[in-house]
Amino acid sequence: MQETSTKDSETDTKVIDEGVEKGLKGLTPEKIELVINQVLKNETGARLKLYIDTCMRCSLCADACSFFLSNDRAPEFSPAGKVKQTLHEMIRLKGKVSKDTLRNIVRIAHTECNVCKRCSMYCPFGIDIAYMILLVRRICHKLEITPLYIQDTVNSHAATMNQMWVKEDEWIDTLQWQEEDAREEFENLRIPLDKDGADIMYSVIAPEPKFQAGLIYQSAVIHHAADINWTMPSFPGWDNSNMAMFTGDYEISGRIAKAHYEAATKLHVKKIVMGECGHAFRSVFDVGNRWMGWAMPPVDVIHAIEFYHYLLTSGRIKIKDKFKETVTLHDPCNISRGRGLHDKARELVDMLCESFIEMTPNKEHNYCCGAGGGAINCGPPWKINRMVNNREKADQIKRTGAKVLIAPCHNCHSGLEDILHYYDQDMEVKFFGDLIFNAMDKTIYKGGE
Amino acid sequence: MNMHTFIDFIMGEMVIVSFVIFIAGTCGRLLWTFIHINKTENFIFSYLSFKYSLRSILAWLTPFLPVSSRKKPFFYSISYTFHILLFIVPIFLLSHITLFEEYLNWSWISINDTSADILTIIVILCTLFFVTRRVVVKEVKYITRTSDFVFIIIASLPFITGFLAYHQLFAYKIIMIAHVISGEIMLILIPFTRFFHMFIAPIIRAYTGSEFGNVRGAKDW
Amino acid sequence: MKRYLLIIIIIFGISSIVLSNQQSVIDRSVFKNPQRSSALFNHDDHNEKAELEDCAICHHVYEDKKLVEGESSEDDSCSSCHTLKRTEKNIISIRTAFHKRCKRCHFKVSKGPVLCGECHIK
Ligand code: HEM
Ligand code: SF4
Ligand code: SF4
Repeated sequence: MQETSTKDSETDTKVIDEGVEKGLKGLTPEKIELVINQVLKNETGARLKLYIDTCMRCSLCADACSFFLSNDRAPEFSPAGKVKQTLHEMIRLKGKVSKDTLRNIVRIAHTECNVCKRCSMYCPFGIDIAYMILLVRRICHKLEITPLYIQDTVNSHAATMNQMWVKEDEWIDTLQWQEEDAREEFENLRIPLDKDGADIMYSVIAPEPKFQAGLIYQSAVIHHAADINWTMPSFPGWDNSNMAMFTGDYEISGRIAKAHYEAATKLHVKKIVMGECGHAFRSVFDVGNRWMGWAMPPVDVIHAIEFYHYLLTSGRIKIKDKFKETVTLHDPCNISRGRGLHDKARELVDMLCESFIEMTPNKEHNYCCGAGGGAINCGPPWKINRMVNNREKADQIKRTGAKVLIAPCHNCHSGLEDILHYYDQDMEVKFFGDLIFNAMDKTIYKGGE
Repeated sequence: MNMHTFIDFIMGEMVIVSFVIFIAGTCGRLLWTFIHINKTENFIFSYLSFKYSLRSILAWLTPFLPVSSRKKPFFYSISYTFHILLFIVPIFLLSHITLFEEYLNWSWISINDTSADILTIIVILCTLFFVTRRVVVKEVKYITRTSDFVFIIIASLPFITGFLAYHQLFAYKIIMIAHVISGEIMLILIPFTRFFHMFIAPIIRAYTGSEFGNVRGAKDW
Repeated sequence: MKRYLLIIIIIFGISSIVLSNQQSVIDRSVFKNPQRSSALFNHDDHNEKAELEDCAICHHVYEDKKLVEGESSEDDSCSSCHTLKRTEKNIISIRTAFHKRCKRCHFKVSKGPVLCGECHIK
């Protein structure tokens, strides 16, 4: 590992996060004890007890965790080791945890675990470590010691129902601006807002209108060319991202998911199609519905991969020129391990690209991009740690030797770009949307052809 | 109490008592577990799928199907062997069957003594491996507590004493009595310690398997 | 307790040597694939020590699963009734018959060997 030798190779445990420090200052031992015990007593049940009582402390889960592998198998980074330092500590001390320990706990729970659930597949019992880490984050949230940057996104969610402080007129303006631009290429193209009874409500995460409006342009073209009866809501609920889910602020998280589902029901759409994002998909498909009391989503929720797959196999979109360069594919946790879309993703790659090289391990067994689970949202103070903790992923990508990396998830996209840059790898990260937009035949689909 | 009455007791009434505690304790704790799930997290039942529970349990029972086991073939071979022998050796041991027949006039197929002897040595070696691993492998050492060693020792004692008794090494009578008692202690402890993992394993597996298979459309092995 | 046990062990050790010199063991030829050594047993010594007069205590006769009082069977081998396997007619296998015969009495009188290795010496 010549290239990485100049880089930091150890996680810095002394990082100062202003949000955490400020929160810690306001805490008293009584408050700490009270909050921890309240959560443990009132918000947990049989599951936690079974997990704790049954774990044989065999550490078979260790090899699953990319943090553990990236840190030269340091035991502090093994999944069971992280539970030992966080949740076990709280239980063992019956809530009487010191501020220094809490600082440690926040760091571990928020920046040293992606809640990717990979370890559940390596534990012979199937113990859900991610659940326990999320429980720790819940306690941190209630103690108000959540890292600053991710807490800011939650505040944005709470105030605006989107992650990026996008104002309502800003949102509508952006859509209309993209529509206008696209109409220079395709007359009649529309981004239909609030179209009652459309087949599909298309939703994106707030960073798209904020920083990557081009992606909205692309999907508008794809929808238009495929002749899809679609719409986007002009009102709050259009953002499908959900950072509160990762900070343990379940109340806000529930409000976000509810707004999203309500937008779909208000518009009487048949399906929600979500853009290429993984955590957002998890929050709508898996987590949000549960918070609202539905075992499964009340409206069909489709990830972009499934949608594109349908467009291409049904002939609504025709591919003119396949992508020439060799590509590799990163399976985002929340839609492979979280939704089993890895096979469809490979079929898509097949339809779009001439040459594909597998990254191993893959499919359900992929490693997290390292940015997921809210890790990237903890912001700049934690960035170098994130790079160090992500070495395994960088090595894995490097082994493929591909020039282009497809990552059908926003979080993964940003996280992978970060590590590629940090570990000096010359590789381009692309969405499926990018590839389709460039390869498609831009004539408009006529039914019955 | 003289020696004969004591031996008669531990090989007679005490065996029955142990089995009753084991069975009643197991049923009780399982029942309590389900009541607890129902009271605190009854949504779990709405996610349990028979098909995916079974799929997951069977996948994990198949040696070397799970990726986890293929990554650590040495460990899993030992663990599978240990767990299988833990049941096979005592249940199919001729001496145990003979005793059973004396008391309840009922018997079943047995393994011969020489094979049983070898299998017992294997079990003891497996437990030695587990102990060594807890001391040597750093990620295991990191999460190991004293109780983990006690736990392995309790599980291995019936085998160690059984081995010594069979070969009539050292003080035969004491060892024989220790063998009977350690077996009974283990049986009694199953419902009240982490030995209970044998009954909880399929429950957690079923839930994880259902969540992965039914909700998320993914494999969990 | 310890000393008591030690004495017993020594006594058994010595007696086992003495007894095996006399080759006083149970005839195990009926067993097809015996797993343990023949159990130690010297008929006359045992009965003398145990002060047994009535042969029918061991050499009993059963008919229709009922004990026939006043009759004994010392001229028959045990296995002529207690076959190797349990059957409709004989509900006690030869192995169990031997074990029960010895151990029941020994437990009752609190004397004599009751643990496997006390008879089946390695
Ligand atoms: C029949 C269902 C059972 C299942 C599914 C099961 C499963 C497991 C698993 C997954 C582990 C942790 C990893 C490993 O060492 O393989 C484990 C460890 C262990 N099990 Fe079991 N087990 C069962 C029964 C038993 C029984 C009946 C005993 C003994 C009474 C037992 C004793 C142990 C011991 C001593 C360990 C610890 C190994 C160590 O410390 O590393 N298990 N078992
Ligand atoms: S959930 Fe993922 S990141 Fe967290 S401990 Fe498990 S494998 Fe590691
Ligand atoms: S693999 Fe499972 S049982 Fe073993 S230490 Fe990890 S969580 Fe515990």
